[in-house]
Amino acid sequence: MNVDVDGDTLILGIETSCDETAAALVMGGSDIVSTVVSSQVELHASFGGVVPEIASRAHLELLNPVIARAMVEAGVRDDRIDAVACTIGPGLVGALLVGVSAAKALALAWDVPFVGVNHLEAHLYAAMLEDPSVELPVVVLLASGGHTLLVEMREPGRYRLLGQTIDDAAGEAFDKVARFLGLGYPGGPAVEQVAHEGDPAAIAFPRAMRNEGLDVSFSGLKTAVLNHVRDHPDVDTADVAASFQAAVVDVLVVKARRAAAEVDAKGLALGGGVAANSALREAVLDACMADGLRAYLPSRSMCTDNAAMIAAAGWHRLRLDGPSPLDTGAYPNLRLTSTEPT
Amino acid sequence: MCAGERTGHNVLILGIETATQQVSVAIGGHEGVLGLFEVARGRRHAETLIPAIEFVCRQADITLDELGLVAVDVGPGLFTGMRVGLAAAKALGQALRVPMIGISSLDLLAFPHRRSDRVVVPVIDARKGEVFYAMYRQVPGGLQQVAAPRVGPVEELVADLLARSQDVLCTGVGAHRYREQIIDGFHCEIADTAFPSAGPLVQLAHARALREEWVSPADICPVYLRAPDARINWATRARAGTGGGAHRA
Ligand SMILES: [Zn+2]
Repeated sequence: MNVDVDGDTLILGIETSCDETAAALVMGGSDIVSTVVSSQVELHASFGGVVPEIASRAHLELLNPVIARAMVEAGVRDDRIDAVACTIGPGLVGALLVGVSAAKALALAWDVPFVGVNHLEAHLYAAMLEDPSVELPVVVLLASGGHTLLVEMREPGRYRLLGQTIDDAAGEAFDKVARFLGLGYPGGPAVEQVAHEGDPAAIAFPRAMRNEGLDVSFSGLKTAVLNHVRDHPDVDTADVAASFQAAVVDVLVVKARRAAAEVDAKGLALGGGVAANSALREAVLDACMADGLRAYLPSRSMCTDNAAMIAAAGWHRLRLDGPSPLDTGAYPNLRLTSTEPT
Repeated sequence: MCAGERTGHNVLILGIETATQQVSVAIGGHEGVLGLFEVARGRRHAETLIPAIEFVCRQADITLDELGLVAVDVGPGLFTGMRVGLAAAKALGQALRVPMIGISSLDLLAFPHRRSDRVVVPVIDARKGEVFYAMYRQVPGGLQQVAAPRVGPVEELVADLLARSQDVLCTGVGAHRYREQIIDGFHCEIADTAFPSAGPLVQLAHARALREEWVSPADICPVYLRAPDARINWATRARAGTGGGAHRA
């Protein structure tokens, strides 16, 4: 299947890797025509995390109406769609399979290319989607419930992994601490809200590996929070939340600045759900100001999982590699691999 | 749902069946089954299904836009595999703007034995020592369900068979797996059929299509018969790279 990929190429993106069922239409890799996200967060809240089987069932139920809504909102007919892009990993296998199966069936029915997209790569495009004037290279800090990565993007499709977490993801640390403090789920917004009332300097939590390298570690911080609360039963929860958040933000920003300096980046971009955290956004803005970098802070809805970023990544992948085969499956452990030697 | 001229007597039906370890795709209509692809081992459902649909269409010399209806096995069966077929079928129904018919995997297993004098009991392995099963008997013109689909331990199935005290024909991959227990507990015949197939799916769907018993893709619902396992596996989740995540994403 031969396709010209240009500014008019309209791609339907589909995302079902975790607990958001999403569809979007994006033209030319950067022009969002419509984007629809149906969150399952309430289905999972009482369990304190995402329950895979519940997520898979919900995706199957929600996907058709979500796609239909994205088409109606865009006001386009089926025959205007040039390709179907879908997350093939990483993620929950049962959840991924719903999107992949539907996306390939749509591509077959419409006789257009199917493009399998790495969810992590898609997060890298979120900042560029809203600010097409982005000057490369940039360092992207991708922080979510499952990942914490520092990536250098030299040009679309060309990137290099600079550093990552060696244990818990940043978002996972938020979730676990929120659970321990009884703040509910999801942990990020819950901690952030309580932290507003607290003193970020109240407790000096450890900042592991702060002064060397580009990898991060949050496991020790999580344990320190648990121990501190056990040893000081009367401690103010708001102070704990604020001090914990300050430690996470400090480490992430220190590493991102170091990465930007090492690769001589022109800017620093955020991606992933943790990038919706206000303290992190402010700290990144301050750091960019101080270092003479441009800051790319996607809107909160572009930080969390959405299908516009999948369609955008699909446009770049289709342009660079062409269509994916129809026997593509789901790859729950898919990684972000550098496209050039590190 | 628009059901134009493509849904008349000559309607062409695509059947998709992925409720057990088999992937099965068929095309058929009033002439019966025109094309059938089946594979019971090998690559996983998601990898196999769409190429199988392409293959059957090409070999039967039928293009997707000639289809008037999409039929799908709605379970019960293995959840992940089942959803691959359901997601693809619903997407095809939506994209091709054709109506759909959902049929139970247990109906499909019973169908080849519609002329048996025995009580036909399709059994599908539900893992964890349990089986999905239902009971049917011959009536003029086909089969009638005499016990509704349920899920339970094999011992319960055997007790149900005993309670019936009739000649029984068990069929399906569950009957094969628990052959010994079923035969020891209750003397019955076990049929060779192991998997529900898209062949009977297309045949049964054609009969229903003539009665206009179709629905829109949005109204096709899976039959799980079992509540979701609500455990959160933090380790798997972290490795899989997803998660509730702080701000999930
Ligand atoms: Zn994500």
